[in-house]
Amino acid sequence: MRPDLPAAFLSGYMMTITKDQLSLSKETRKKMVPYLLIAPVVIYYSMFWLFPVLNAIIESFKDVDGIWTFGNYIHIFKDPVFYEALSNTAFIVIFSVTIEFILAFGLALLINKKFRGSSMFLFLAMIPMSLPAVAVGAMWSSGLATRGWLNSFLMNFGFIDDASKILFLAGGKMSTMLLIIIIDAWTVIPFVMIILLAGLQGVGEDVREAGAIFGGTKFQILRKITIPMLKPTITTAMILRIISAIQIWLIIVLLYGFNRLPVLLEQVVLNYDQLGAEYFERIGLALSVVVAIIVSAAAIFYLKVSGSFEKEEKQDE
Amino acid sequence: MATLELIDIAKRFTKKVWGVKKMDLEVEEKEFIVLLGPSGCGKTTTMRMIAGLEEVTRGTILLDGKDITDIPPRDRGISMVFQNYAIWPHMSVYENIAFSLKLKKMPGAEIKQRVQETADMVKIGELLKRLPGQLSGGQQQRVALARALAVRPRLFLMDEPLSNLDAKLRVIMRTELKAIHQQTEATSIFVTHDQSEAMSMADRIVIMKDGEIVQIGSPDDVYFRSSNMFVAGFIGTPPSNFFTVKCEFKKEKISLKHSHFTLEIDSIGIEELKKYSGKEIVLGVRPEDLLVVADDKAVFTEEVLVVEPQGSHQVVALNLSETIVKMIVSAETKVNPGDKIGLGFNIKRIHFFDKETENRIPLISEA
Amino acid sequence: MNNVVKRQLRRSAKRTSLYIVLVGIAFIIIFPVFFLFSFSFMSDYETYSEWPKPLVPSFKANFMIDKNTEGYHLFIFNKSEDGFMPFGPLVFANNEKDIDSLRKFIKLQSNCKISSQKIVEYLKVVDNNSRVEFSIKKDLLANYILFFKVVNGAPKAVLNSLMVAGATILISLSIGGLGGYAFARYFFKGKNILKLSVLFVRMFPAVSLAIPMVIILAKMGLYDQPLGLSLVYSVGQISMSIWITASVFMSIPVSLEEAAMIFGTSKVGAFWHVTLPLALPGLAACAMYSFIGSWNEVIAAVVLTQFNPTFPVVVYKALVGSQGQINLITAGSVAQALPAIIFTLIIRKYIIQMWGGVKV
Repeated sequence: MRPDLPAAFLSGYMMTITKDQLSLSKETRKKMVPYLLIAPVVIYYSMFWLFPVLNAIIESFKDVDGIWTFGNYIHIFKDPVFYEALSNTAFIVIFSVTIEFILAFGLALLINKKFRGSSMFLFLAMIPMSLPAVAVGAMWSSGLATRGWLNSFLMNFGFIDDASKILFLAGGKMSTMLLIIIIDAWTVIPFVMIILLAGLQGVGEDVREAGAIFGGTKFQILRKITIPMLKPTITTAMILRIISAIQIWLIIVLLYGFNRLPVLLEQVVLNYDQLGAEYFERIGLALSVVVAIIVSAAAIFYLKVSGSFEKEEKQDE
Repeated sequence: MATLELIDIAKRFTKKVWGVKKMDLEVEEKEFIVLLGPSGCGKTTTMRMIAGLEEVTRGTILLDGKDITDIPPRDRGISMVFQNYAIWPHMSVYENIAFSLKLKKMPGAEIKQRVQETADMVKIGELLKRLPGQLSGGQQQRVALARALAVRPRLFLMDEPLSNLDAKLRVIMRTELKAIHQQTEATSIFVTHDQSEAMSMADRIVIMKDGEIVQIGSPDDVYFRSSNMFVAGFIGTPPSNFFTVKCEFKKEKISLKHSHFTLEIDSIGIEELKKYSGKEIVLGVRPEDLLVVADDKAVFTEEVLVVEPQGSHQVVALNLSETIVKMIVSAETKVNPGDKIGLGFNIKRIHFFDKETENRIPLISEA
Repeated sequence: MNNVVKRQLRRSAKRTSLYIVLVGIAFIIIFPVFFLFSFSFMSDYETYSEWPKPLVPSFKANFMIDKNTEGYHLFIFNKSEDGFMPFGPLVFANNEKDIDSLRKFIKLQSNCKISSQKIVEYLKVVDNNSRVEFSIKKDLLANYILFFKVVNGAPKAVLNSLMVAGATILISLSIGGLGGYAFARYFFKGKNILKLSVLFVRMFPAVSLAIPMVIILAKMGLYDQPLGLSLVYSVGQISMSIWITASVFMSIPVSLEEAAMIFGTSKVGAFWHVTLPLALPGLAACAMYSFIGSWNEVIAAVVLTQFNPTFPVVVYKALVGSQGQINLITAGSVAQALPAIIFTLIIRKYIIQMWGGVKV
């Protein structure tokens, strides 16, 4: 420091420095606020999501005595039931998601108008998705039993007689899967419809009207305006559906019991909870890892195909 | 009633984006200052820094000589009217106005009296029990005003308070705000992008562009002595017309050569233009300073493109080599599109701008 | 003129077809749910001895007692047969033991309550007139009461479920709410990635999480405890809460908070005085959504409980193990479904808003 500098200037100089440093630290502190708010989420997810998931992966490579092994996975991939479960799940996912989407989209387009009692109708549409899975199971198992309410209903109205009762649950594999797809459709179509309706309302009447004014036919407007604008919503609906369709199991077990129509998650529960040996628990654990990988892969694959990642990058710029 | 000083304040949002680059301003006691500029010029950011809603990146804010730069908004002794009013929808009008008084632990009876007084002043004395949702936009605006006035602030900030009102109400509120200011004498800062609002209300207008002050001055200053082409082009409806001319000195006369016309004027009083002799400068002419004259006296004649009647006057647009020139003529003058009219200049009111810097060329005669 | 009529006709035809579609969808949705409810009110006799089964439960049952040389006989009116059918013990005598077992049988099979004296009175009438017909009001809630009496640990399970749901709401709303506020009010690095991963975490199979959690929770001493289960549920519910609360906070203008800060309070005070009261309905909806998710969940609960099952696990086990009559199980299912349905009714607006706002 130069000795000839006036003291006042010096002290002023010092002051600016300290103040600058102060305001800087304050600014950093302010920048930290969102991270502090988000920190509990991240911490919680590391403790109760990341940690168990990593744990599951590690444990799935160990046998009952804690020795590293591929045995669990070899067991799974050698088991023909796994492949049956895989193909059954794939069949159900592909058909149920497609059918549900087409029907839900059609219905959403049909009722995307203001009408009286719409609020009540939306509530009705939400009932199937708010019903607990076991209630859905009880409902259909009481309905599809040979002497269930479905046959009773048909008999009461004279569609069938006692001799021509329909054996809903006794069909072959194809009709079993079909039945599951129908029940699944009943449960989730209203839900998919609501998502699409919310999206359609976001698209707004004006853009479609503009399309009509400029001479588009109804189908052209749907294809060129409505569907492209609805794409984010469609992506959301599809991804939610694909992911939860892969995880179908409870309704199957409630209607048919275990092992009648093997699907992935049912096999996890069967191995883990029903067979009652630690060996099978580890098989169940490994299988749950496989299911998680399949679900993640399906989600990422769909996001990639639908171009959501590109959008994400664009937003970041 | 207070004085406000902004010393070299600046706001940086991200590494490259500056909200306010540099700002120095002194506001005197009881003054009504209007911050005016196009959107994105930093006027709202400046106000938010004064309010303490935005931290300054650099600089000092003094209120009554006291440094308030790092003081939280609540302790600054200011109040503010927001653009969207920001009145709390879950509180009644009374609760909205009384909010800050309650937090200051004012005695109940006094609060009641103060709220009633203030509400009466802005003519919502009858609405105290209502919820904001039950009020019209204009009434909500008055609630926001009452809430801000009830504090008896040292400094009164208004962020485009009239921009959400319809045109008619806006003009009424302008007058009322001015009357309230005369009554309360609170030092006020008013942000707007509407120049006629600024002209009609301000003691001084601060015109901003790209985060910097372009001109500070009374409404007359910024209108008649615009400091540069930006201000001349921003203030006034329609704004100034600009003509690029070549300047040549001939003894007592100056000839200003435009591609379409040549204007010869006396050089007395405008000797400062001498150093531009042989160079190009820009003429700024306000629409009312363009005159319809007989053809023999006309500087140039041109065909009328469009006529916009305004009731008290009419705006006539001409097309002069791909630039639209606008002028104001009296309502009685008969002009129709396609007419050829002769034009003259009100010589005394022509402004000269440097073509390079776009700044006004100062003339001694104005000083 | 003709055109106007045509246009009106076409418009009303359009409206009519819209309503036909709506009614059709509503019918398909309600149809099975109706039978779920209907079955839950039926007596064992209606469920198992009438064929085809009645579509609506009856509110009373008709009985007949007659007498021959062997003793008294009880009959019940069977709607599908349209006549009285033998009901209960083939023959009984007018003694205390027989009448008491008869009373119990009537209660169990037809959900009708009758006192022993009343039976004795009827028997006196039979003695005089050779037969008597009478009807008894059915106890509609009998299945519900019986379900909680018969099915092991059902009342305790409801309590467990409530505790799990309560803890889940507390955890997910506090942690998710903070996150939602950050998403709504701030820009920060990795915001988009985080928002997507939050959604992904929710989609992760619950069972893949529950199984490894068994060991972790056991180490923490929380296995088979309501709190342990709620820790697992919160993983999914936190992300849901983030999405819901973010949209709730976004709907509250920042300037309302700023105004509060100018008019005398701090950032925290502004949140407390302004943002929180305004967000309250949305936060309540979020809590209800968490409740529904936690109340309905089965698979993680199956894996993570042993002696302290939740209510859905009890119903699930009863159903899989065929531990009871179907009318009893439907009663259990309805009992489990009702809270979820009611909460859905309350928050339906928010559900639409939320799903309208979720964009992958």
